[in-house]
Amino acid sequence: MVTPDKERAAEQAVPHSFKKKRGDNYFMEQKKIFSEPVKYDLTFAREIYRLENGSYIKQCMNCGLCTVSCATRDVMEYPPRQLFNLIKLGKKEEVLTSNTFWSCTSCCTCKARCPRGIPIIDVMHDLKKYAIEYGYTDYPQAAFYKAFWTEMSSRGKMFEGGMTARYFLTRGLDEIVKAMDMKDVGISMLKHGRMPLLPPKKIKGLGGLKKIISKAQELDRKEAAR
Amino acid sequence: MEKKIAVYICTGCGIGDALDIDALSKVAKGEFKVPICKTDGQLCGPEGVALIKQDIENDGVDTVVIAGCSARVNYDVFKFGSDKIVERVNLREQVIWCHTADDEDTQMLAEDYMRMGLVKQKNMNVPEPYHVESFSRNIMVLGGGLTGLTAALESAKAGYSTILVEKEAELGGYVGKMYKQVPMKPPFTDLEENCIPNLVKAVEDAGVKIYKSATVENTAGAPGMFDVTIKQDDGTVQERVGAIVLATGAKPYEADKLGHLGFGKFPNVITQSMFEEMAVAGTPEASKVAFIQCAGSRDQEHLPYCSAACCIESIKQALYVKEKNDEANVYVYYKDIRSNGQYEHFYMKAQQEGVVFVKGDVTEITEEDGKLTIEADDKTMGTTSLADEFDYVVLANGMVPTAALGDLMEEESTTDEAAAACDEPKASTPPIIKANLLNLVYRQGPELPALKYGFPDSHYICFPYETRRTGIYAAGVVRAPMDMLSAVEDGAGAAMKAIQCVEVTEKGEAVHPRSGDMSFPEFNMNRCTQCKRCTEECPFGAINEDEKGNPLPNPSRCRRCGTCMGACPERIISFKNYSVPMVGNMVKAIEMPEEDEEKPRILIFACDNDAIPALDMAGINHMQYNSWVRIIPLRCLGSLNLVWINDAMGRGFDGVLLMGCKHGDDYQCHFMKGSELAEIRLSKISETLDRLGLESERVRATTVSIMDYDKIPAMLDEFAADLEELGPNPMKDFQ
Repeated sequence: MVTPDKERAAEQAVPHSFKKKRGDNYFMEQKKIFSEPVKYDLTFAREIYRLENGSYIKQCMNCGLCTVSCATRDVMEYPPRQLFNLIKLGKKEEVLTSNTFWSCTSCCTCKARCPRGIPIIDVMHDLKKYAIEYGYTDYPQAAFYKAFWTEMSSRGKMFEGGMTARYFLTRGLDEIVKAMDMKDVGISMLKHGRMPLLPPKKIKGLGGLKKIISKAQELDRKEAAR
Repeated sequence: MEKKIAVYICTGCGIGDALDIDALSKVAKGEFKVPICKTDGQLCGPEGVALIKQDIENDGVDTVVIAGCSARVNYDVFKFGSDKIVERVNLREQVIWCHTADDEDTQMLAEDYMRMGLVKQKNMNVPEPYHVESFSRNIMVLGGGLTGLTAALESAKAGYSTILVEKEAELGGYVGKMYKQVPMKPPFTDLEENCIPNLVKAVEDAGVKIYKSATVENTAGAPGMFDVTIKQDDGTVQERVGAIVLATGAKPYEADKLGHLGFGKFPNVITQSMFEEMAVAGTPEASKVAFIQCAGSRDQEHLPYCSAACCIESIKQALYVKEKNDEANVYVYYKDIRSNGQYEHFYMKAQQEGVVFVKGDVTEITEEDGKLTIEADDKTMGTTSLADEFDYVVLANGMVPTAALGDLMEEESTTDEAAAACDEPKASTPPIIKANLLNLVYRQGPELPALKYGFPDSHYICFPYETRRTGIYAAGVVRAPMDMLSAVEDGAGAAMKAIQCVEVTEKGEAVHPRSGDMSFPEFNMNRCTQCKRCTEECPFGAINEDEKGNPLPNPSRCRRCGTCMGACPERIISFKNYSVPMVGNMVKAIEMPEEDEEKPRILIFACDNDAIPALDMAGINHMQYNSWVRIIPLRCLGSLNLVWINDAMGRGFDGVLLMGCKHGDDYQCHFMKGSELAEIRLSKISETLDRLGLESERVRATTVSIMDYDKIPAMLDEFAADLEELGPNPMKDFQ
């Protein structure tokens, strides 16, 4: 059993510089997530297993290779394997409010390395979709995804200024204040012609793109109905 | 009969460039008056071999000394029939490849090796094979479980009449009582029907002689001539067999000792075998079942080792539950799932079926209204996990080899004489557990010596199935914990070993590791003092004793290591081609330079099995080392006789180094404890050296494995430096 004493000792045993580099979340594993005893309840898990790549979760053998391969593990609340275990524990709230799948950059390293062949990034996509579907969108990344999508589907092209505006509008006033911190980046991008002031022209054949999208959505709905 | 000797010096591989071949020929022709001494540019080529064969035919040469490469290569090229003695002088790997070319010291080294080789062959005779009287080729398999049945079937299929002895009334053993078995073939995902009924039928059809409800009352004799008394209800039967496969299996660990997991307290906490019985009777409908892995295994208070099979057996049983009720919740609490090899697929299959695997230690099991609750430390979540409403909790209680079930054999009662001998350091003797399996009529005890945890001794990497009793091969879970697939492989492997043993014993050859060796120890009984050292020290229990304490050798049990030869204080034990005088004369053949020449000499006794290959490897890699060394290969350091060291020190050698294999728990010695015995003997000699006014640091023992070849130069240089500090051996002046 990991006692608080042991936990502290383990943390102290690691040089400070290393700790700093790895970030505090590196020691996630030793931290107690729950003070109450946990119970395995597969009701929620069975729902997740039904997602397109959901049943792969069952295959996880807790080796942790995904965690050590992950570029964004330092910002993740739970490493992937713990997230999978949370699903088995039926911790729906913890799973869907966690930033783990939102932090996934789809770099594919974990998927390539997983000895059990779990397509982890696809599982993460499924979880994102599931979270949005059930209204768990109170995440900057979720808003960002939405802003990105709206911009792309309406224009067929990216307009950075428009997307940023959409993003901050959905996130609310507080965020706009925060956004001021990033003004240097924005100005710099403007100077280098990386962020046009005016929206670009829509692509040719936008109607075609929209048809493609709606067809894909239709297929997706059919898939879900099955 | 006078030997007709011929010396052939190969000048290929750079030997001719690095050494003065004429001077080398002069050693053979002049000093040793060898009638034929020829050189050839490539002795291992067809012309070189033809040259030798021609001399054998025309001049009646019967002893061939080849100075060239190591005896570890080209041994198949230089093969001239079993009636010829072939001696190889290693000029390549141990001289020119690791010492400076055209150098005085290198030339002296080569000449000394030539002298040693010539002296060696003088003391060698052609071995005559030992033939067992009323030899039997039959093979007995003890134990009729999965391993035993496989071994019996394999040996019968290979054409050997086989006897199978089973303690119980029915064949099949532990596996025979199973409902279904783990997958044995690709894709390793599906439960299979029990294979035992088919296997039993195959064994019966193959004509194996089966004794059911039978035990072995005693086993006497040696390979090729074991006399086994088999006890059945209605009396005893005698069978003569050539070799024995021990496949007596294992027993589940006593669940009564697992009270902390609720066994005995709650009726629904059961063991794997109990669950198996229930499954045979028709799996009980269960909606929630937990399996607890490592219940007793990998636990210092119970079984310290991993029982290897329980993980996949539990997975199998978890699938029984799922097979019956798809909606059932099945939990497996584990330390690590050890689903070796292809069984990883089986593990994944269980995961796909929805079995929940919880990594954690179970801390408490409680019961309420017949339903069980498990509290565990969940290692993945770093917290406590609770699960309740279990219908059954199944303990994977591990296995104990049948060889470990019994009382430890007591040491012989200590007489005054023995008490006196206790002061001397002694080699550790392996424990023998009276498990009532073989009941050997051996001086050393009734069963196979046990390794850690009571498994019969067997070096699991180098010599699987080999035990310390030649001709008896352990297989299956009695040898080591393993799953069914490994047990099947083991049964076949041990049967092959038994067949090998029968075949080579018939020819009078040694079994592994000195395969093909026809020599065996001969005792000059006139001078025996009944000191019992040979019988005690023989690692294979090859030597029995009569009432007076005279040794009674059993040559077919012998592995030809020469440990008895090294042990004998009277030096009455010798082989036809390996003896105390032979090595002693080799030591004496080395030229000893005068003290003022400042050419120290270091004698190395190196074990043939690891040290010599390592020295050769150092040569192959052209690593340079001290050219003061003179290397004498020994069959095993256990054959080291202290008289050689006395001789060497008396002749003025500045130091003696023993190079043997690692000993102790993870020994690498091919003869179990040869290097350990050599070190013990060495501790006795240091006293003598001190008395002679010689520093005991001059004689050292070291262990090298074959992979340590790169450390050898440093090892030798360090020793040489130490010796230089001690100064030359004062005995040099008395020569």
